[in-house]
Amino acid sequence: MLLAVALASTFWVLLDIAGEFSKNSASFGVPSYENRFTELRKTVTPRSVFGYTSDNPPNDPVDQAEFYLAQYTLAPAIVTTSVQEPLVIANFHAANPDPALFQARRLTPVQNFGNGVVLCRPQNPR
Amino acid sequence: MTLLFLALAWLAGFSLLRFLFPVPLRVSLHNLWLLSLGAGVGIGMASSLYFLTMALAGPNIVVLAAVEGIFLVAAVVLALRAKPRAAALDWANGPEFPWYLTALFLAGAALAAILFVTHSAAKPHGEWDAWSIWNLRARFLYRGGELWKNAFSTQIAWSHPDYPLLVPGIIALCWTLAHGESTLAPIGVAFLFTFGAAGVLISVVGILRGKAQGLIAGALLLGTVGFVAIGAMQYADVPLGFAILATLALLCLEDRYPGDLRFPILAGLTAGFAAWTKNEGLMFVLAILVARAVAILRYGNRTNLRRQLGALAGGLAFPLATVAFFKLRFAPPNDLTATAPREMLTHLVDFGRWITVLEGFVKAVFGLGDFLLPIAVLLALYAYLVRFHSAAEDRVPLATVLAALGVMVAGDLAVYVLLPNDVNWQVTTSVDRLVLQIWPAALLAFFLAANAPQLAAKPKVAEKSKPARHPVKSHRRAAG
Repeated sequence: MLLAVALASTFWVLLDIAGEFSKNSASFGVPSYENRFTELRKTVTPRSVFGYTSDNPPNDPVDQAEFYLAQYTLAPAIVTTSVQEPLVIANFHAANPDPALFQARRLTPVQNFGNGVVLCRPQNPR
Repeated sequence: MTLLFLALAWLAGFSLLRFLFPVPLRVSLHNLWLLSLGAGVGIGMASSLYFLTMALAGPNIVVLAAVEGIFLVAAVVLALRAKPRAAALDWANGPEFPWYLTALFLAGAALAAILFVTHSAAKPHGEWDAWSIWNLRARFLYRGGELWKNAFSTQIAWSHPDYPLLVPGIIALCWTLAHGESTLAPIGVAFLFTFGAAGVLISVVGILRGKAQGLIAGALLLGTVGFVAIGAMQYADVPLGFAILATLALLCLEDRYPGDLRFPILAGLTAGFAAWTKNEGLMFVLAILVARAVAILRYGNRTNLRRQLGALAGGLAFPLATVAFFKLRFAPPNDLTATAPREMLTHLVDFGRWITVLEGFVKAVFGLGDFLLPIAVLLALYAYLVRFHSAAEDRVPLATVLAALGVMVAGDLAVYVLLPNDVNWQVTTSVDRLVLQIWPAALLAFFLAANAPQLAAKPKVAEKSKPARHPVKSHRRAAG
């Protein structure tokens, strides 16, 4: 009985995973972030330290996940949640972000890497 | 190439164990045990040497390759020169295991492998903890060059840079030697620990209780969807669970072959690798020393205590020194040590925190492993049918396992209560994984205590002479 329940449980979960496999989850996850930051990654060195901001609503769990994914993708550069670092990564969801978003964060765009990824400088660096 | 270097670490671990417990190279339970345990020992040694080399000589691939190469060659030469001098560890006598149950076990193992492969194919970088902690650290170590110590920067404190480096270390080592990153490294490491744990459980329960018990225990572990899935997610809870199981299993074998110090020395080594895997492993080291002392003082030969603890300490020395070096020289303070005593005291007397944590543990036990039916209830039913029986000679190993797991649970509970974080969030996101860490060792304890199931009607002749519970007594000291 123990073995049968174990077997059935594994089979059940396999069906779940197969279902998940068939869904399209290309917009989120490590591979999509590796693609998203492809151009920016070419510029990072182990000495790079970036600030980070996004257009996600405050306290949105997705925001934390996206920040972690950005750090994972850009390692060995260090990414912090500050917008006071000399260079700040703006990770926006629109391909051509609204200039008001930068203004609201007191950031000046320096280089647009596409996909909503823009390297900025703070207007009042620390 | 990446997998080749992982395989070499495994080979080194297997060779080291074969040197200690030499038997002919053929298909046997003894070699299954060595292969399974060898994965953890090899990875632990290779990872420790990687970190020490980085710390003492910097990221120099020539020095790194030389150090790891010397370890591998020495282990292989020792293994080849070792002459079998004692009987191999073999299945204990027990009831026949019918063919249909063997088929069920094989089907379970195959499904577990399919589950692991499917999960890994869908998420080759693992899940949240994998890319925010373990693989992230490996990337810093590998990609950082001279600045590899950025892996422990307080600027990424959210990624727990104080966590030990067994998993990131072996991944970064494989990438370094292969001159390239591949997700095959973390996937391979996760595979070895997940299925290695099953191998250790099957072989040790098989040695101590027979084939039926061993295969049921192994099937149950591989059928624990949560365990296989967490393994495939590349979380370090499975490697830690492996180390906890390996340590306790070695101590159980030591009680079966008293006076054989190879077992407790090796148990010390695997306990040390637990501490090199996760911070909870440090608590396990304390738990194992306390548990062993309590078990021996209560049920064993007290004159053995100093010798036993000395052997354990001998095995612990290398990995624990590595952990101490890392913690003292590189790691920033962790959540618990950074908490002010006053805040801890406030948490300690907060009744609500205790209730939240206890509730979380109870829920995690009943929901353990994502079984279709609660496994705790099924095991209770199984125990009712076959009954527990603890012979005098089994009391020391059983007491060791149960006391160690008890100390671990109590320690985990205390950490939850004392930690500065939101206890609700902390419990929700991690308590099920803490239970999975001790699940393989809990299965070991369960099947050590449970009587073997009677899987077929006894022949009438056999009924007259009641079978001994440990028909392997004549073999007991053979490996000594």
